[in-house]
Amino acid sequence: MDHFPLSWGRPRNDALDAFNTYPMHKRPTHHDTFADGVQRTQQPIVTGTSVLAIKYKDGIMMAADTLASYGSLARFKSIQRLHTVGSSTVLGASGDLSDFQYIQSLMEDLIIEEHTAGDHHELGPAEIHEYLAQVLYSRRTKMDPLWNSLVVGGRKDSKNFLAYVDLLGTTYSSSSIATGYGAYIAVPLLRNAVDGRENTLTEEEARKIIVDCMRVLFYRDARSLNKFQISTVTDAGVTISEPIQLETTWSFAEGIRGYGAQTQ
Amino acid sequence: MPDGSFSHPQQRQFNPYTENGGTILAIAGKDFSVIAGDTRQSEGYSIQTRYAPKVFRLTDRAVLAVNGFAADGNMFVKKVQQRLEWYRHAHAKDMPLGAIARLIQTMLYGRRFFPYYVYNILGGIEEDGTGAVYSFDPVGSYEREACRAAGAAQSLVQPFLDNQIYFKNQQAPAGQSHPLHLPLSDVLAIVIDSFTSATERHIEVGDGLEIYVVLTKGRPTQDLEGYRGVKELTTRPDGDRVFLIQRELKKD
Amino acid sequence: MSIMQHNGGSVIAMVGKDCVAIASDLRLGVQSLSISSNFEKIFPVTERLYVGFPGLATDVTTLREVFRYRVNMYTIKEERAIEPTIFTQLVSSTLYERRFGPYFIEPVIAGLQKTPSGSYEPFIAATDLIGCINFAKDFVVAGTASEKLFGVAEGLWEPGLEPEDLFETISQTLMNAVDRDAFSGWGAIVHVITKDKVITRKLKGRMD
Repeated sequence: MDHFPLSWGRPRNDALDAFNTYPMHKRPTHHDTFADGVQRTQQPIVTGTSVLAIKYKDGIMMAADTLASYGSLARFKSIQRLHTVGSSTVLGASGDLSDFQYIQSLMEDLIIEEHTAGDHHELGPAEIHEYLAQVLYSRRTKMDPLWNSLVVGGRKDSKNFLAYVDLLGTTYSSSSIATGYGAYIAVPLLRNAVDGRENTLTEEEARKIIVDCMRVLFYRDARSLNKFQISTVTDAGVTISEPIQLETTWSFAEGIRGYGAQTQ
Repeated sequence: MPDGSFSHPQQRQFNPYTENGGTILAIAGKDFSVIAGDTRQSEGYSIQTRYAPKVFRLTDRAVLAVNGFAADGNMFVKKVQQRLEWYRHAHAKDMPLGAIARLIQTMLYGRRFFPYYVYNILGGIEEDGTGAVYSFDPVGSYEREACRAAGAAQSLVQPFLDNQIYFKNQQAPAGQSHPLHLPLSDVLAIVIDSFTSATERHIEVGDGLEIYVVLTKGRPTQDLEGYRGVKELTTRPDGDRVFLIQRELKKD
Repeated sequence: MSIMQHNGGSVIAMVGKDCVAIASDLRLGVQSLSISSNFEKIFPVTERLYVGFPGLATDVTTLREVFRYRVNMYTIKEERAIEPTIFTQLVSSTLYERRFGPYFIEPVIAGLQKTPSGSYEPFIAATDLIGCINFAKDFVVAGTASEKLFGVAEGLWEPGLEPEDLFETISQTLMNAVDRDAFSGWGAIVHVITKDKVITRKLKGRMD
């Protein structure tokens, strides 16, 4: 790095040296820092796959595996993608994980800011979701998106909340939500199990639905891991489990040519 | 580079838009206005949710339907509502419908070079008590009409409306003429038929239907009473009134 | 613009009570330039069977001749008139022969099918440009105004229409659909096929 500020160049207008910092004949040949354009638009680098979430009788349940992929490389195998915000919200992220870590820091700043007001108000899941929607939408409008699909779940004042927001600022809420491959593979299973039963499903039943879907995803999504965490938000508050290791069976693959190991 | 080599910087443009399907429509009567939209939100072949409203009550006399890119739509409605609130604070009354239409045009054109990817239809009651519909393109071109469909199934619904509302290609019996305005019950029947038809033949339309009805001040409501589950959303007495009718549509 | 939209034009067929109707616009254009307002694209196959060819105009003429030849050959060999179901299969296989260099036509077929008891029952079908058949019980549409035709037909059509009511329904559907389509219109023709006769009427339409 060139630490001499005058070598950094100034944007455009190299015709004059407004502050006469250099004698004219000694002025360094100008280099326009922005000649090649500025880099904003990115692509996701280290990514997380699906997040699943459903509503049930006493709250919401969310799950995400612990894998952070670098392309097709399973780069980090123990990364947490569920994040508690305040005391009644959980935030699950798929997509770029460095962007997610930035969002986590935004959430921390936001909660501290609200706490310092000292008015004993705390942001609930609906407010967190609205905030994130505004952040993600304004970043897409600047053509500098935060490359994530986020699920916000929570329970406040005995009301369940579950909603989605993505890099375009698109939002929606539903009694079951899944991001990434989960939107194709898990959503039909989740809707089948949850729709119309949001207020009667027990935590045990909800957990079985979620675990079943995570298993299906592990079998079919090549960027997933059989190690995941489950989070719940109920009147009792937010819990995020320790990583759960899934029991999986592959014996059936033996009989399927092109699936298991080939012997000839 | 088209040759697929990496000798030049690779460019990948982020696409800030998407389409979220659905259809909206509005019909103006003599002393009422009907604004409707389905509630499905989709992206590609995935249904994101079966209930995402795209018709919004703005005032007791104005209802806005927004269709296209949902994130832009929600943001646009939010900004219109904010401007209407400021207007209330400044003038101690609701903005008239024609003024809201002009406001919407200005706001849309303000983003001429990075448009809100949204088709707007504004319905409600004009200051003279007549029902009105204003329709917009994404960059603010607008006109007042008697009826308009927009969105994914526009091409299915609009010619049907031409036929049923404007009586296009129909000849009135000798010595008679077609009515200029239809009664509310006929309009509601046509709206429901339009959406069931669109649901049948367009994959992005379905799940639910929300029909807003705006009635001019003092108009009798008996032709609304026959409808199941009519909710009144009016905020102030002795003015124009807003009602909401919700219906299920096929979910496949 | 796709070659399917090059000349414009639309066809629709509907089922009624003991009758069927098939109708088309009369426009022939080149892109947005209108050339002719009497370009018919529906042709009789037998006394009770009609076929419509919306799509590329040159292929309309070609296919008309191809099917005239093949139907004549069938009639001579079999010594009987071709039935709608058989003709539909003929259309399908003829188009599929050109699977990788297709005729740019989406045929619509409407006719009365003879039953073993000697009566007639309504039959309509349509195929895509490579011969995938769509049998429908209500109506079939094709051409540049197909989306509009779907929308209006879905709103106007009902089961069990008598010939005159079917005529009104198919006419209204077609006219209102083509009036919203830049590539179709300029008048229309309607054939209502009943057991005893075919009613053919030309409709005046908007010329803009």
